[in-house]
Formats: sequence, C-alpha cells, structure tokens
Amino acid sequence: MSGPLASGLTEFVERATELQVQVDAISLGAIFALMAVGIGLVFGVLRLINFAYGQLIMAGGFALAFASEQGWSVWVGIALCGVVVLALSLVMERAVFRPLRGQSPAVMLIATFAVAFLLQSIALLWFGPLGKTAASLATLNQTVSVGGVEIRKIAIVAIVAAAVCLGLLLLLLERTAVGLHMRAAAMDFHTARLVGVRANRVSGAAVLASGVLAAVVAVLLTVQFPTVTPTFALRETIIVLAGVVVGGMTRLVSATLGGFAIGYVSGVLGAALPTEQSQYLPSFVFGLVILVLLLRPEGLFARGPRTVERV
Amino acid sequence: MSSPALAVRDLTVAYGGVSAVRGLSLTVDAGEIVGLIGPNGAGKSTTLHAIMGVVPLAAGEVSLGGRPLTGLAPEEIARAGVALVPEGRRLFGELTVEENLRLGLAARRDGEGDGDPLAEVLELFPVLEEFRARRAGVLSGGQQQQLAIARALVARPSVLLLDEPSLGLAPAIVDLVFSTLRTIRERGLAILLVEQRAQRTVALADRTHVLTNGELRLTLTASDATDTERLVAAYLS
Amino acid sequence: MRASLRLVELAGPVGLVLLAALVGTTVSRSNEIYFINALLAVSIVVALYTFIGNSGVLSFGHISFVAVGAWTAGVLSVPQDEKPALMPYLFGFLRDTTVGNVESLALAALVGGVFALLVGLPLMRLSGLAAGIATFAVLEITNNVLRYWEKIGPGLTTFSSVPETTDLLQATVAALVVIGAAFAYQRSRYGRQLRAAREDPAAARAVGISIYRQRLGAFVLSGALAGLAGGLYVHFLPINADVVYLDLTFITLAMLVIGGITSLWGAVVGALAVSALDSVLANAENGIDLFGTTVDLRPGTRIVVVSALMALVLILRPGGLTGGRELSLPRLGRSRGVEG
Repeated sequence: MSGPLASGLTEFVERATELQVQVDAISLGAIFALMAVGIGLVFGVLRLINFAYGQLIMAGGFALAFASEQGWSVWVGIALCGVVVLALSLVMERAVFRPLRGQSPAVMLIATFAVAFLLQSIALLWFGPLGKTAASLATLNQTVSVGGVEIRKIAIVAIVAAAVCLGLLLLLLERTAVGLHMRAAAMDFHTARLVGVRANRVSGAAVLASGVLAAVVAVLLTVQFPTVTPTFALRETIIVLAGVVVGGMTRLVSATLGGFAIGYVSGVLGAALPTEQSQYLPSFVFGLVILVLLLRPEGLFARGPRTVERV
Repeated sequence: MSSPALAVRDLTVAYGGVSAVRGLSLTVDAGEIVGLIGPNGAGKSTTLHAIMGVVPLAAGEVSLGGRPLTGLAPEEIARAGVALVPEGRRLFGELTVEENLRLGLAARRDGEGDGDPLAEVLELFPVLEEFRARRAGVLSGGQQQQLAIARALVARPSVLLLDEPSLGLAPAIVDLVFSTLRTIRERGLAILLVEQRAQRTVALADRTHVLTNGELRLTLTASDATDTERLVAAYLS
Repeated sequence: MRASLRLVELAGPVGLVLLAALVGTTVSRSNEIYFINALLAVSIVVALYTFIGNSGVLSFGHISFVAVGAWTAGVLSVPQDEKPALMPYLFGFLRDTTVGNVESLALAALVGGVFALLVGLPLMRLSGLAAGIATFAVLEITNNVLRYWEKIGPGLTTFSSVPETTDLLQATVAALVVIGAAFAYQRSRYGRQLRAAREDPAAARAVGISIYRQRLGAFVLSGALAGLAGGLYVHFLPINADVVYLDLTFITLAMLVIGGITSLWGAVVGALAVSALDSVLANAENGIDLFGTTVDLRPGTRIVVVSALMALVLILRPGGLTGGRELSLPRLGRSRGVEG
C-alpha cells in the first residue's frame, strides 16, 4: 500500500526540484506577480476588481502578432503593443471606471466582466477564433544550457523583467508625489481628496501603471504562447485574480505575493504531477481560494483588519 | 469694499428631504477667527462639509475671495485655497509624518519653491520635526492633532476650517492648539472653527455663531466669554 | 384590492412568457428554437434572480447548478444500451439507472438544490466581493470536475443520444413553474425577510432575522430552479461542459442586469429582451432582409452588441430597463421609465 504512494511521492519530489522546473515555475510566478500588481494597483485606488485585465494583455498579444505578420521588427512590435495596451487602458478608465466610481463593488465587478466579454468578442469578430501568430518573438523561447540543464531564455527574461518592473514601481510609489498620492488614495480616498489629491489624476496614474505592466506581460506571454486567440490570457487572469484574493487585496505587497505564489505553485504542480492529477489543478487552486476566503477573508499575507468592504 | 476671504450665503443642505442646515450665512475675513458652536447634530460639521464640496448644496452659495466654489469637487476646493482639519484628524496612519505633510503639498498653488517646502510648518510644530520619519499612527493624540493642522497649513491656504480640533485632547494640549490658532491668525489666515468647547471658543474667536437645528440663532463676541454658558442656555431654553 | 394589485406582479411576467410562447407557435420550425431558447433563458435568469435579486449578494456560480442539472438529466436519460459506448467509465449506479423525461427533470432540480445546499452552507457567510469571487471559484471547480471526471458523465465530449424532449410546451411550462416558485418565494415570509435584510442588514438582525439562513434558503431554491433549467437544456441541445460555463454565466447575468436585478419583472423582461435581440442578430449573422436592405453581420456581432449593452446599462442606468421594480397598475398608467 505504501509502496506505490511512496514511490509516487519520491518521483514527484524529484520532478519538482529539478532546476528546469524550478526556473519555469519562478518565471510563471514572476509573470503572475506582475499581473497581480496590475490588478492590485487599480483595486487599491478605485476599489474595483478589473476583470478585463486579461483582455488588455490579449490586445497587446494581437498587436505583437500583427506586427510580426507585417514583418516589422520585434522592437516595433513591442512599441505597438505598448501603445495599444495603454490606449485601451485609458479608454477603459474614462469610459467605464470613472462613471462607475462610487458604485458597489458588485456592480463594478459585473461591469468589468461585461467589458471583458466585449473586448473578447470584438477580438473574435476581428481575428476569428483561431487568432494570429506572433512568430517573430519565437527566438526568445529557445533554450540555453546552464550547467548541463536546458533553460528557456524567456524564463530568465521574465524573471529579470518582473524584478525590474517591480523595482521601478516601488520607486514610483515611494519616491514621487504621484506615488504618494496613489498610496494615500488607496488608504483613504475620501480624505486624500480633501487634502487636494486629484481623484482623476491618481486613478489615471494607477490605470496607466497597470497598463504598462499589462503590456510587459503581453510580451512575456506571447513569446511563450505565440498563438494569440481571443481567449488569450483569460485563464491566467482568472487564476491571478484568485491568487490576489488569496494573498490579500488590500495591500499591494500581499496581492503581489499571492500572484507569485499561485503562479509558482501552479508551475511546480503542473510540471511534477502526473496528468490524471494535474488536470484537477484548477479545482485544487479554486478550492484553496474558497478555503482562504472562509478562514482568512483578509488574505493569507495581509496584516491588520479587513478593509475591502470599507466605504 | 473687497470680498471677504470666505463668504457663505443662504446655505441649505438637505439629507433625504430633511434639511440639516437652513439658510446659513456667515463671512470670515483674512486675519479673523470665526467660531461655530452648538449642540450635537446642529449642522456644524455639515456646514464644513458643504463648504468643502463633500455634500451638495440644496441652495445658497459659498465663495472664496469673491470666487464662487459651488459645484467644485473637494480636491478643487482644496486647491483653490480652503484647507480642512477634519474631525478625528483623518491622518494616514501607515504613512510617515513627513509623507502626511507632503500630501498637504497636493493642494499648494504656488509650487514647492526652493528649499524644504515643509520648513515653515515644522518651525511652527517642532515636535513634528523630531518625529519626521515615524509613522503617523504611533504619535500621541496631541501630536496627531498638530500634524493634522500642519498638513492643512502646508498647502498655504487662505481659509482654514477646523472640525472640533480639541476633541479628546488633554487640557494642556488644548491650550497648545488654541494658541497655535492665535499665531496662525496673525499670519493673515481666515479661520472657521467648529467647536464643542463653547466658552474657550468665544474667548478666542472674533465672533462666534450659535447654531441650533441647522439655523444660526445667536452671535457672541469675545466680551461674552465669561457668560457664554448662561447666554447660550438662556437662548436655548 | 391589495391582493389583486399583488397579482399584477405575477400576471406581468406570466403574460409576457405566454405571449412569447404564443408567438413561438406561429413561426417556422427552424425559428422555433429561438423561442425555446428564450424561454429556457427565462428559467435560468429567474433562478438567478431568486437568489441575487432577493439577497443582493452577487453569484457567478449559478451556472454550476445549471451544469449539474444538465449532467444529472443527461446521464440518466441516455438509453441504457448506449451508455457503455458513450460513457464507458460511469459509476455502476449511473450506468444501470435510466429514467423517463419528467423524472430526469425532477432529479435535475433535486441535485441542483442539494448541490446549492452543500455549496451554500459554507459560502452564505460571505457577501460583497468575497461572495462574488467564491461563487466564481465554485463555477471553476464544477467546470473542471465535469470536464475530466468521466465517472459522472461524458467528460470533455458532447452529450449525445439524450432524448430531445424539450419543446415549446415544456419550455413554457417550465418557465411558468420557475416564475411561480420565484413569486411564491418572494411573497412568502422568508422572501420578505431576505429582502428586508438586503435593504438594511443591521435592522434585519435587530428584529431577529438570520441573514445566513434566509440567504441559504434562497440559494437552495434558486439552485433547484437552475438545476431544472439545466435538465431542460440537455434535453434541448447536445451540450458539453463548455456550454454551461463562462459564456452562459455572462449572458444570463447580462440579462438580469439589463432587465433590472431586483425584480421578477426585470428578470423576465431582461431574459426575453436580450434573447429577442440575440435572435435577430443571430439571424442577421446569416444575412436577413431588413426594411428592403440585406443586413449581413459577421459572426460574433451579437455578443459584441449584448456585452456593450450590458456595460452601457450598468454605467448609465444601474437599475436596468425596469428600474428594478415590479410591474404594478399605477405604474402602468404613469409615464414609464422614470427613475429617481
């Protein structure tokens, strides 16, 4: 009885601790952490969970694929990706987030749910269900040999890019006036406005910063999954949303940790579990989400009392 | 005659059909402290919120140096030169003293200028200089109240609104707060002070209005300070 | 007098459903499916409304109950001799049990209700954002399990050989049953208590209403109604796990929001209005003549229109088309569509 179980466990641990698996899992965690920050920034200031965050990434993916099909250079593609994602972010902020300010969290959640479907269906209309392929970025997906272990270049790029982005964001939040205003607005939007913090400016800044991160994630994901379809990044967004809630929405740090953790755990389990078990990974992950919501509604990594429902 | 720093004319504020403030008019000139006292629920805080644009006006007008503020968002009113020291201070407890003060710069109109933009208020409140890098949440009540006033002053407002700054403070600290207000008045600010401590307010202010049930009923001057209790009681009975 | 006024609340939705059914009998066979689809949508949306509308708590998870209802009715309705070939890994008791149409629908409702009870026992303590995310997690888990667990159904493949018994009559009767149940519930003591708790939780607690229990009751009822709708669905179309997942969650929530979340009238109006629009657009995607010109929309246009409409309603008119109010006689006389 214990024989097969023990050998299964040994096999799992062996797989899970391989350098290649670890690097891949950390890089997935890094990408998810970036998405978590993007979602958390907007939530902090606007108290709005942006369900449509994945569709921003999807739009960036299509921009990259379009540039690739036109034969443009990788850098032009990345620039186009940035422009498209940022423009879409700003439109979303003006047309949806601002008019919804002050609505209940539930109404805002349904509204961004609608925006997500709108963008996805526009992509479907435009590009069809099979989508487009961004072939020009594929070189980054090749492997390099590190001490005899094959490691994909993109995994390293993702980890470095995430570290750089998080570092820059930290500088923005800690060292600039607009960063201070964003932090204050996240703690107490009402009082922040009373002392002269401009609501539209901080919400615009949060949405822009979140858009920059979405553009970076679009590049990182498109390299690994060059076929961009209308549902691109949808699964990832749903899992990151779960991770953000599990980590704790109220603080950017805990949301980021939650995003990283869910990415890392998914990466390790996905690679190391046998197929008949790894196909139930979503159930495991979302079961965990429910458990955390029931036991620690403020989040695993949060500290202090829960303030999500505060008005 | 030039316009007063702050003019409120026929202010009416309604909550769900019930008017919390009815036809209130008052002016505050530069270099003047005007007190606003009255029982709980009389509409004192509501008046300040209406001036700040937090609650909409059902009727009337608020103007700053002759410029109408009606319809502006709170942050626009703050940037126009009205600073509020809110009830309960509403500091950002997780931010440092310095960060709280820097937030006040958000509403400053003439930019940060050269040198330390916080130097002026830190001189006025030396204790804040000492705790500059601490989290605001760990300060004592009196220090927090000084920080709240300092945060408002950093913006270099022309009008300062205070909502019960003495609430919950020890008598010695109340003395400090009131004497600070005296100092600020000398610098030419227009101050509207909402208070529960009637006698002290009347003694400090150039004139003090008594508000009951949303209406101004009585105006007292500093010479009434010794009989404040009796005058107000006689009026209310 | 009061009672007759109250009956208008029921007569409006019932009349609208009957009207849709009557029109449905006059159209061609190929267009009839749009009407059946619309009536099934009424059932699902009214089931959603029974919980969301009365409790004010968001649920992204109700399509799970539709899904388990569909699985129950589907698995139990496939002819005995075809089961080993279609679903070889089924549990013995599922493989050996085959029931008739009505029984399969009743069991679909039962399983939907029981599943809602199991889910609701822990989850009904949550509200607001947490409830939204937790119910979404339920949807994810249900979909994941139905996709891969071949002991309880066809897994990733599409249901086949389920008798296609859902016709216009059954869909109409089911919609009326669901509306009747929802109406009876909201007029009952329990429904009134839950609505009171939605408006003012503190006051409701103060008079001794257990919000948790009342929410759980509504959740189980709406789970059963959704299960019934799922049963009808599997008897209508060959479905798979992806049919009862995100898209259906979105479109039914959109219907409820567009109609008006807090009234039965809003739920029915939203379901029928969006279905009508959806059908016209679906036809237009195949090319139709409209006022002399041929309109030929690209496939996918309809979901663009519906989602844009939902976003617009939420931004401009959060109360929905009906303002979230029931139909009533004085309102009929007044100018419509005025909202405070």
